[in-house]
Amino acid sequence: MDVEEATVNLISKDGDSFPVSIGVAKMSELVRSMMDEDENEDENSSMEIPLPNVKSEVLQKVIEFCQHHLAEPMNEIEKPLKSQKMSDVVQKWYADFVELEQVLLFELILAANYMDIKPLLDLTCATVASMIKGKSPEDIRATFNITNDFSPEEEAQVREENKWCEDA
Amino acid sequence: MANAKVIPLEEGWNEIKAKALDKLQNILNEDMKTGQTNLFGPKEYVQIYTTCYDMCTQRSPYNWSRELYQRHGETIEQYLNDYVLPALKDKPRQGSNILLTELQHRWKNHQIMNKWLKKFFTYLDRYYVKHHSLPTLSQAGLRSFRTHIYDVIKADTTQAILSLINDEREGKIIDKTLVKSIVELYEGMGMGTLDAYTTDLENPLLESTREHYARKREEWINDSTPDYMIKAEGALREESDRVAEYLNSSSESKILKVLEDEILERVEMVLLEKETSGCRALLQNDKSEDLNRMYRLFQRLENGLVPIASIVETFITEVGMEEVQRRQARVDGEKDKNDDPSFIKALIGLHDKYLAVVKNDFAGHSLFQKALKNAFVEVMNTNVGQFTNAELMSTYCDRILKSGGEKLSEAEIEESLDKIVQLFTYLTDKDMFAEIYRNQLAKRLLASRSSEDAEKLMIAKLKVQCGTQFTSKMEGMLSDLAVGGQQRQEFEQRIRQEKIPLDFSVLVLTTGFWPSYKSPEVTLTDEMQKCMNIFRDWHDQKHQKRKLQWIMTQGNATVRGTFGKKTYELMVVTLQAVVLDALNDGVTLGYEELAQRLNLEGDMLKPTLHSLSCGKYKVITKTPAGNKINNTDTFTANAKFTSNMRKVRIPMASLDSSFSTKKVEEDRTIAIEAAIVRIMKARKTLQHQQLLSEVLAQLSFFNPNPRVVKKRIEALIDREYLERSAENTGVYNYLA
Repeated sequence: MDVEEATVNLISKDGDSFPVSIGVAKMSELVRSMMDEDENEDENSSMEIPLPNVKSEVLQKVIEFCQHHLAEPMNEIEKPLKSQKMSDVVQKWYADFVELEQVLLFELILAANYMDIKPLLDLTCATVASMIKGKSPEDIRATFNITNDFSPEEEAQVREENKWCEDA
Repeated sequence: MANAKVIPLEEGWNEIKAKALDKLQNILNEDMKTGQTNLFGPKEYVQIYTTCYDMCTQRSPYNWSRELYQRHGETIEQYLNDYVLPALKDKPRQGSNILLTELQHRWKNHQIMNKWLKKFFTYLDRYYVKHHSLPTLSQAGLRSFRTHIYDVIKADTTQAILSLINDEREGKIIDKTLVKSIVELYEGMGMGTLDAYTTDLENPLLESTREHYARKREEWINDSTPDYMIKAEGALREESDRVAEYLNSSSESKILKVLEDEILERVEMVLLEKETSGCRALLQNDKSEDLNRMYRLFQRLENGLVPIASIVETFITEVGMEEVQRRQARVDGEKDKNDDPSFIKALIGLHDKYLAVVKNDFAGHSLFQKALKNAFVEVMNTNVGQFTNAELMSTYCDRILKSGGEKLSEAEIEESLDKIVQLFTYLTDKDMFAEIYRNQLAKRLLASRSSEDAEKLMIAKLKVQCGTQFTSKMEGMLSDLAVGGQQRQEFEQRIRQEKIPLDFSVLVLTTGFWPSYKSPEVTLTDEMQKCMNIFRDWHDQKHQKRKLQWIMTQGNATVRGTFGKKTYELMVVTLQAVVLDALNDGVTLGYEELAQRLNLEGDMLKPTLHSLSCGKYKVITKTPAGNKINNTDTFTANAKFTSNMRKVRIPMASLDSSFSTKKVEEDRTIAIEAAIVRIMKARKTLQHQQLLSEVLAQLSFFNPNPRVVKKRIEALIDREYLERSAENTGVYNYLA
C-alpha cells in the first residue's frame, strides 16, 4: 500500500487492527458516515473504527473485496439472474471470490449488510440465489441443510397457495 | 447470528438513550460551541449503531424495528415540546431580531439533532422504512419540527421578516444572514417542495411589496418622468438584489411583476404624456439616456412599448412634415424646380438621426423600426409643388453621380447613395422613381458624365431593394455601353480604310432599355452620311436580324470654326453641327430656307438656332436681333465671335421631356394586368375582393388605386382572359 496515502484502522470483533486506505474504508456507508463530518482527510487519518459485529476472518474478505472493487468495479448484477453460474453474471474475479464455504458466505452477507456495502451485499446475495435457482424444495433443503418442519397438510397447503408460481 | 444473546427492548433502548440521546440533548441545551461537529467519536457512534442494528435484525418476536422507529419520533417530538417551544414562546414580543435569532439557533440545533438521530437509527431507513413506505427518519424529524414549532410560530416570524425587509427598503441596515437562514427554514419546511415558502412567506411578502410600492408610486409620480424612471429602475434593481441575497430565486420574477404592475403599468400613460418631461419632450431634446431607460423599463410590460412607439411615430412624422412645409414655403416663394437638394439632405439627416435613435435608444426593437418606417412612408409620399419626391430624389442622385456635380470622394458617394436608397424604400411610387432615374441615367451615360463604377454601385443597391426586374433596363443600358466599346474599336479599323476626314463613332443602344427619343430625318452633310452608310453596311453584315434606327438628337460633334483670325473647337450636338455646316463660309440663310434644306420641323430647328444665336456663345448672328426665333429671321455666321477658351461647349435645351408620366401609366397597366392573369391562372376562380387584395400584395413598386385595378379586370374580361361567374357576378373565372 502506498505509504503516503491516508489510512484508517478497522478493528475487528476479535480486536485485530486492519489499516486500509480511506478510499477502501469509504466503500462502507457505515464508515463513510463517520468520516463525512470532517472533510480534512488528515484528521481522519489513523482513526480507529471498531466493527464489533465482524470477525477478523470475515473482515479480511470484506477488505479484499473493497480493494479489488476500487481497481476493477464490479458490474451491476442483472436481475433476475440469467444463469446458475456466477461467472456468467459477474467478472471472473468476483465469481472466484464467492467460491466460499457456506458459513463464510453467510457471514459475509451479514457483514456487508452491517457495514452497508451495497456491491458486496449484491454479490453475496446473488451467489445464494444462484444456489437456489432451478432447484426443487428437496434439493434446496439438502443444499442448505434445512430440516423440513412442515406437516404433510401444511406442505400441501403451501403448495396450493403458491401454485401460481409453479405455473409461471 | 454474530450475537447469540438477544437484546430485550427496554435494555437496548435504555442503552441508546443513556449513551446517545441524553448526551445529545445535553450538548444542544448547553449551547454547543460553534464549529463543533464531531459530537460522537467513531467508537461511541459504532456502539450505538451496532445496538440499534442488532435490535433491528433479531428474529421476531424480538425484532424491535417498529418500536425503535416510533421512539425515534417521540424523542424528537418530546424535545421540541419540552425545550424548543418554550424558548420561542415569549420572543415575538421582544422584537423581530430576537425572535428570528432564537428561531435560527433552534433550527440549527434541530438540524444537528435530526442528523445524529438519523445516523444512529440509520438501519431503520434501509429496510423498515422502505418496506412500510414510511417517512424517512429525517423527513419524520422535519415534519415534527414543522408541526410542533413552525406551524405555531410562522405567523410571527413572517411578520418579523416582512418588517425587516421594509426596514431595509427604507435604507436601514439589517442582518441579512439571519433573514437568509430563516428563509432557508421556510424552504425546508416544504419537504422537497416550495409550498411552505410560497404560502407562508412569499405570498404575504408580495402583498406587503405591493402596498409599499403603491405608496412609493404616489410619492414619486410628482417628479419628472426621468427622475421617476431612475427611481423605478433603482427599485427594480434593489428588489432583484434582495432576492439574490436572501430570498428564494423563484421569487424574483413574482416580486418584479408586482413592481412592474405598481410602479410602471399603472402610471405608464401619465409618465409618457407628462408635458415637459414625457416621451415627446425627451425626443425633442434628444435625451438619449432617458429614452433608453424608458425603453428598458417599459419593455418589461406586455405591450408596454406600444404607446411609446406610437408617440415616436407621431413625433417623427411631425418633424418630417416640418421639412415638407419648409419645401412648400420655398416652392411658394421661388420658381419650382425638379432639384431641391436641401429638402432631400434634410430628410436624409432626419432619417439618419432617428434611425440611430431607434437603433441605440430603442435597441432596434421591431416596433420602433416600424414606427420609423410608417413616419417616413407618410413623409416621403407627401408631394408638394410640381415635382414629386421621387423626381427630387432621382435628381439628387444625378447631382451625386454626375461628374462635376457635388464633387464627393468615392466613399462619400457610396454613403450618400446608401442613404438615398434608404429613403427610396419608403416611396410608394417606386416605378416613377425608376422611370425618372432611367432618363437621367441615360443622359449621364450618353454624355459620359459619370463613373461607371458609381453607376453600377447605385444600380446594385436598387437591385438589392427591389429585385432584378426593377433594374434590368438600367443594367441593359450599362451593358450596351460596354459592348459598344468593343464594337467601336472594330469599326474604327474598318473606317480607317476609307480615308474619311472625319472622326466618326456610333453608339448602338438597345430599344427598350433606353428612354424613347425623337429621331428627325435631318439632312446630314455628305461626309456624315457617308460615314453612316459605311457603319450601316458594316453593322448589317455583323447583325443581320437587327434594325438600325438613327437618333440624331442624341449625337455629339466637335466642329472647328474660324471666326475672324481665331479658330475655336465648338462642342455641339449633331443638329447644331448640321446648322453650322449649312452656314459655313459666310452664307446667309433665311429660316424657311434652312428648314427646307435641313428637313427639320420648327420644334427641332428653333431650339437649335436659339442655342447658337441667343445663348451665352453667339456663334451665329440672327437678324433682326432678339430672343425669339421667328420664321422670317435670317442667320449668318458671327465673324466677331470671341471667347477666352479655345474649346467651347455650346449647351442646348433637351428636345425630349425628361420623362413621361404616360409611360409610367402604361407600364402600370401592363403590370396590373400581368398580376391579375398570374393570380387567376393559379386560382382559376376568385372573388373580386380577394383578387383585389392579392393584386395589391403582388405589386411592390407602386400602390394602384382599386378603381384602376377594377378597370383592368374589365379590360381582361373584354379580351376574354376572364369571365364573370354565371351564378355570382362578384366572382371571376379564368379562361385558359
